[in-house]
Amino acid sequence: MFNQQSVKIKKQLWDRIKRVSGAAGYSAPEEFVEHIIERELAKLEGAQSDEEIIKKMKGLGYLE
Amino acid sequence: MNEARLTRHVRTALRLTCLLVVVWAAFHSENGNSAAVHYAYVGPGAGFAFLGSFLTLITGFVLSVSSLLVWPFRMLWRLAQRRQGYRKAHIRKLIFLGLDGLDPGLTERYLSEGRLPNLAKLREQGSFHRLRTTFPALSPVAWSTFATGVNPAKHNIFDFLNRNMKTYVPELAAARVSEPTRILKIGKWRIPLSAPVVELRRKSQPFWKLLGQQHIGSTIIRVPITFPPDHFNGRLLSAMSTPDLRGTQGSFSQFTTRVASATFESGSRYPLKRNGAVLEGSLEGPENTLVVDSGTLQIPFRISLNDKDPQLEIDGHTYALKRGEYTPWVKLNFKAGMGVTVAGIARFMATETEPEFSLYCTPVQIDPESPALPISHPSFYAAYLAKVLGSYSTLGMAEDTWALNEGVIDEQAFLDQAYSIMAERTQMFSNALEKTRRGVVACVFDTSDRVQHMFYRYLVPGSLNGNPGSKHAKAIEDLYQRADQLVALAQKHVDEHTVLFVLSDHGFCSFRRGVNLNSWLLQNGYLFLNEGLTESGRYFKGVDWSRTTAYTMGLGGLYLNLKGREAQGTVKPGAEAEALKRELITKLTDFRDGANVAIRTTYAANALYKGPYLAEAPDLIVGYADGYRTSWDAAVGKVTTEVFEDNTKAWSGDHSVDPVLVPGVLFCNRRIDALDPGIEDMAPTAMRLFGVDPPAWMEGKSVFNIA
Repeated sequence: MFNQQSVKIKKQLWDRIKRVSGAAGYSAPEEFVEHIIERELAKLEGAQSDEEIIKKMKGLGYLE
Repeated sequence: MNEARLTRHVRTALRLTCLLVVVWAAFHSENGNSAAVHYAYVGPGAGFAFLGSFLTLITGFVLSVSSLLVWPFRMLWRLAQRRQGYRKAHIRKLIFLGLDGLDPGLTERYLSEGRLPNLAKLREQGSFHRLRTTFPALSPVAWSTFATGVNPAKHNIFDFLNRNMKTYVPELAAARVSEPTRILKIGKWRIPLSAPVVELRRKSQPFWKLLGQQHIGSTIIRVPITFPPDHFNGRLLSAMSTPDLRGTQGSFSQFTTRVASATFESGSRYPLKRNGAVLEGSLEGPENTLVVDSGTLQIPFRISLNDKDPQLEIDGHTYALKRGEYTPWVKLNFKAGMGVTVAGIARFMATETEPEFSLYCTPVQIDPESPALPISHPSFYAAYLAKVLGSYSTLGMAEDTWALNEGVIDEQAFLDQAYSIMAERTQMFSNALEKTRRGVVACVFDTSDRVQHMFYRYLVPGSLNGNPGSKHAKAIEDLYQRADQLVALAQKHVDEHTVLFVLSDHGFCSFRRGVNLNSWLLQNGYLFLNEGLTESGRYFKGVDWSRTTAYTMGLGGLYLNLKGREAQGTVKPGAEAEALKRELITKLTDFRDGANVAIRTTYAANALYKGPYLAEAPDLIVGYADGYRTSWDAAVGKVTTEVFEDNTKAWSGDHSVDPVLVPGVLFCNRRIDALDPGIEDMAPTAMRLFGVDPPAWMEGKSVFNIA
């Protein structure tokens, strides 16, 4: 509720998203939009440092 | 007429409440905090959220008073909505008792020996089937499918790990915790102006959220891959992938007079300094990210040896230490400065007392009474459980398997810990069953998985990692009998309007030999190391990506180094990639370790999965044979000179094998109609039982023939 922001989008585009998101396997048009944005952001944003990522995996029983 | 007037009053009251909430939220937004509960960031490389402010107190007070005033109206409104929600329901209550890793073969064996009377009764009363699991047969994948009713390409969880496509470094697949996005830097201080970013990577929607939208409530306790919790109409306590206070998946500490210091695979050894009859040490907590370069937060402690039992003095409290016995949960407040405190809990146990002294400390976990990260919905549910039932373990995978692997605790201490966690969970489950008149109760017990991982060696004659003469040789039989007792508890709350499912997400096999497919890929010209190297470091350190075409990491998958997807991809998508996949499938099917089959089949992911997250999936899923698994080295992206190695760890059972070998179990108090039920069928079954149509994107089918 408090950690969401609204973005305005043209109605025609939203209608297209609604039409295709279900067929593509998304559970909601919002999920489709978030996925597309996340995918593009991942290309542009820097990654967390390897050290941070590795530290977070520590302790997982399945991994040494 | 009266009803219409009442509805009007209720609406007015609701509008007022909404207005107050909006004002309150606006104040919060101005204040830079984005949630009602203030969470600290735990984990490397970020800052703590402020714990509160005067403005928060005032708005909180106003909100509390107004909530009290409108409470009767809200209750009436909710009652009316709930009644509406259950109008088409076929049942009043649905119980899912999840027993992670309960194996159908072992279950059938113990059933035939008469050791599981409650499961036997359930089978006679209703039904017992093998439950198809996911590809791969891993808990994060399977329980995500349980929750959403979809295949992994629709919920985005394919393994414990996913790879970062820019760096090739494996990362946790299910959740991401990152530093606050806004930080004010003043000198050495780093003051967070926003909450930490905590993100659940599982996509799609769980059935409890969809039922909640129809005013059917659920209580979801420790179902894996629920951190951070979903916001929905119901209660949820997070499970697998919830970190400890250091931001890891569980780092124990050992304090000892024996040596100065050492590092274990998943824990650390620290010195205990003798000072007469007193031993002194310091417990490491989370990183202090409020102050630049200040290291980790510490709580010093003393152990007094004067009394009959050594006394542990820590954070203003004293606890008697008895050798081989755990203390109760000890509350720990790590002070970061500026009044910011991060609350944790841990249990201690003296593992030896003389002549040397060693003290084991569990991973320092998020305190459920004052959670540093969101671990429940609503946020007070975790604290409610702690107040009513006492403190409890909050770590995602709470049983400390690595402490046993490393010999820091013995088998008895591991089992004591595992069963105390099971007892905590039993109390939670019992509480939920008692409080739920209508709706869903789902609770997953994962002790069944952990004990099988660590004690499977006793089921395998001549096992390399057994402990001859151990009094715990029948640990797994005992485990199944304890699990059977949980069925009796659930049955007490079953009537003719209740459906009870007892299910597991996968079964078990032995893990005797590890297969390093990275090494095989190196030997067969698919993976290359930098000039002069014969082995790589962990996380592919030393791999020459410019020539590499395939690699493996995690537990179930093999990846192509695909152009346009991986940062240094070499394989062209399309015909070239498909040809390489076919070649690898041929070579890695009926793959032998001497005379023994190590890999039964290798599957193309695009033949198994369909959905929008397919690009995140491994390209191939490797179906290991019983006795085999990906090696410890290969799982963390290490290339060695050997393809096969013996597994000598206590971790001797596994299920990262061909999923057809490790289905789960499905018991029900009613006869089910499905002939070949799968774990994806549970979500649509839940919806149909409550008279709600599953959405079109949900793939599973109800196991009952009901419209």
